[in-house]
Amino acid sequence: MSNISKKRVAITGMGVISSLGDSSASLHSALCRGLTGAYEFDELNGFEGRGSGRITAFQAEAYLKGRNLRPLDRTGQLVVATAKLALADSGWTAERLAEHTAGLVLGTMFGSVHTIAKFDRHALEQGPACASPMDFANTVINAAAGQTAIWHNLRGINSTIASGSASGLAALGYAADLIRSGDQTAVLAGGADEFCFESFCGFERGGMLQTSEAFPVPFHEARTGFAVGEAAGLLMLEEWESAMARGARILAEVRGHGSAFDASAGEDRAQAARSIARAMTLALSDAGLSWHEVDCISASANGSVHADRDEAVAIGSLLNGRGPDLAVTAIKSMTGEILGAAGALQAIDMVESLRSGMLPAIRGLEQNDPCLPELNFCRQPRRIDGSCGLINSVGLDGNAGSLLISMSN
Amino acid sequence: MSAGPKIVVTGIGMVTSIGTGREAFWNALLAGRCGFGPVRSFDTSRFGVHLGAEIHDFRPEDYVRKLDARAIGRSSQLAIAAARLALTDAGLNAEDIDTERAGVCAGTTSGEPHFIERFDDHYVQGELKKVGREFITRYPCHVVPCHVAMELGFSGETMMIPTACAAGNYAIAHAADLLRSGKASIMLAGGADSFSRITYTGFARLGAIAPDVCRPFDRNRKGMVPGEGAAMLLLELKENAMARGARIYCEVAGYGLSCDAHHMTAAHPQGEGAARAILRALEQSGLAPEDVDYISAHGTGTATNDRLETIAVKKTFGRQAYKVPISSIKSMLGHTMGAASAIEATVCAMAITEGRIPPTVNWNEQDPECDLDYVPNVARNHQVDIAMNNAYAFGGNNSSLIFVASAA
Repeated sequence: MSNISKKRVAITGMGVISSLGDSSASLHSALCRGLTGAYEFDELNGFEGRGSGRITAFQAEAYLKGRNLRPLDRTGQLVVATAKLALADSGWTAERLAEHTAGLVLGTMFGSVHTIAKFDRHALEQGPACASPMDFANTVINAAAGQTAIWHNLRGINSTIASGSASGLAALGYAADLIRSGDQTAVLAGGADEFCFESFCGFERGGMLQTSEAFPVPFHEARTGFAVGEAAGLLMLEEWESAMARGARILAEVRGHGSAFDASAGEDRAQAARSIARAMTLALSDAGLSWHEVDCISASANGSVHADRDEAVAIGSLLNGRGPDLAVTAIKSMTGEILGAAGALQAIDMVESLRSGMLPAIRGLEQNDPCLPELNFCRQPRRIDGSCGLINSVGLDGNAGSLLISMSN
Repeated sequence: MSAGPKIVVTGIGMVTSIGTGREAFWNALLAGRCGFGPVRSFDTSRFGVHLGAEIHDFRPEDYVRKLDARAIGRSSQLAIAAARLALTDAGLNAEDIDTERAGVCAGTTSGEPHFIERFDDHYVQGELKKVGREFITRYPCHVVPCHVAMELGFSGETMMIPTACAAGNYAIAHAADLLRSGKASIMLAGGADSFSRITYTGFARLGAIAPDVCRPFDRNRKGMVPGEGAAMLLLELKENAMARGARIYCEVAGYGLSCDAHHMTAAHPQGEGAARAILRALEQSGLAPEDVDYISAHGTGTATNDRLETIAVKKTFGRQAYKVPISSIKSMLGHTMGAASAIEATVCAMAITEGRIPPTVNWNEQDPECDLDYVPNVARNHQVDIAMNNAYAFGGNNSSLIFVASAA
């Protein structure tokens, strides 16, 4: 490791918009009560599979009063609104943003594939001269990050990270490292993906979605796939000393990040599990922590047949008999697979779990798959007495990332 | 950034409309060859413009050996080719690499646009049934670096940074950070974009595509020419490169990334964000404007980009702005989108190594608002110890990267 002294990363605020709530507290409460964002489709006739679906209650106007929303597509609206919530939660006012530079690092799997497709189809049907310049601006995958920077005057780094459903956690790791190295002092980081026809159609054709009636249960013996959902989540990460200096409320600390890739393209399950274990080990060594200092794990598992098993095998391989006392939860049992937002919502709920001492259960997991290693799966919401949580994020194409968050002291 | 271990470029590989691989590409650049021609990838009869910079002689089977070359998208094919060329150029065999500490970081504008374009074709023809599994497994942009890593067996951090036309610079900056913090030992960093109907349609609609040629910084410039391509740079720690006796092109000295927070598709009218990126890159590298020997410009050839980029350079370089040679290889390659700044980074590496600067071709008449030294039309012998690579993007993203000659 490099011996450059690293700065500490404080989490000073969180914003979330999801089908389970639009604040970290309401999200955590819904998760602890075992609610789901399950949603029956009506506009997707001919497609099988179920989703956790669109955030039906989302109205951008409710969050962004009095401004022209036309330049924003749905992804842009979600991110701009979520950024507003996160900025307010962390005490970053417009006045502060005018004087101090804050950045934005957004993880996303698709940007807006709906906007991209709509723009293209309109030009195909009406002719290229009728293509919409406003839509074109939103066809770039970094559009939501750019729109959010414009809306909130975020003049620091503006980056977009794509690692499939591991994007949000990768964005948090990337942003945290920029603060640790001293390159940035304040960065909003997290992820977002909208629910749209194009991506749903893709997952359905890919045979990746849950085929039975019940909402997918991660680690369950009868799992057949995931439910695809929609969400946006952002955390305000600040360099510790500068957060202290401005008197910010510090919620928690990002301790370390690790990431790895399974180059076997999913052909070799043992290698897939090893890459997930490697990400976890790298996060621990990055944080300078050991396993006995970790109190709970937020798993990436979403109901996929192979990926859930790979992750359980990876966790089991590292615990050295500590399996019984290290609680493992999986919030995708309630949020569904929210793609680029997943790591961000897991991180937000981890902060809430550590602060409240209550970890949500894996909804519906009465009996886990007997083929999995014996882990301490949360079958009921669980009191936790600890200060440090590990979050996993595993993509559909070999990306694996882990992030460690601890309560501040 | 100057405090940490030094990061060096030891291999470069590129696939472009004027040449594939370092030697062919560099010779074509110095000769001022252009890659423009009528678009062949799709029918442009309904467009008012027809010019593109496509790659016609690319054979993916020559490079894609482990994966199924026909199953993956063209951006992945181009990226894999650039990666293999960079590895070979660095004198490295994939087998000799500690693959768990080797990663891939790529930039792009559109990822694999052909898969969504095919989806849309099926949609408008009422044949959605024809959409198969390949859409979800081959379309999302992150698959480009994943495919490179799978092909080479790399299993370190693999990431796509889709920050549009500045993406290559963002990818190189992140790769350098990973090496500096000890999270990786070897990084392939660069960018890839394949010729896209969607991108072409958008720029045509904005009136940004040149009808004849791309002539950056010329008074009569009429726009950019969309192109395609890929480039990868092999980055590693200088001490490791020296230990294995590798040829070193240059060091990655520092970077500056900023956001205008002003407009999605138009740059800040005073080049404010671009200037901040330049200053940040200089500061991080511990350098002053008078140290810079060459600027590889974003230089798209649109009226506003070239004017604002000139303003940003003047604002940050002062009188020195008139002394430093600036050139835009987009005058020859067109705008290769997310690959552009990665290809331009390889040009910085070559300029430092060879002491030559590629020209801005098609330049005929000075624009009073663009009155700097753009190295018009003819390549120049010029010692380059320090080169700056500028790139700007939709979303207001600004990036400046600085490469410096590496002392033995």
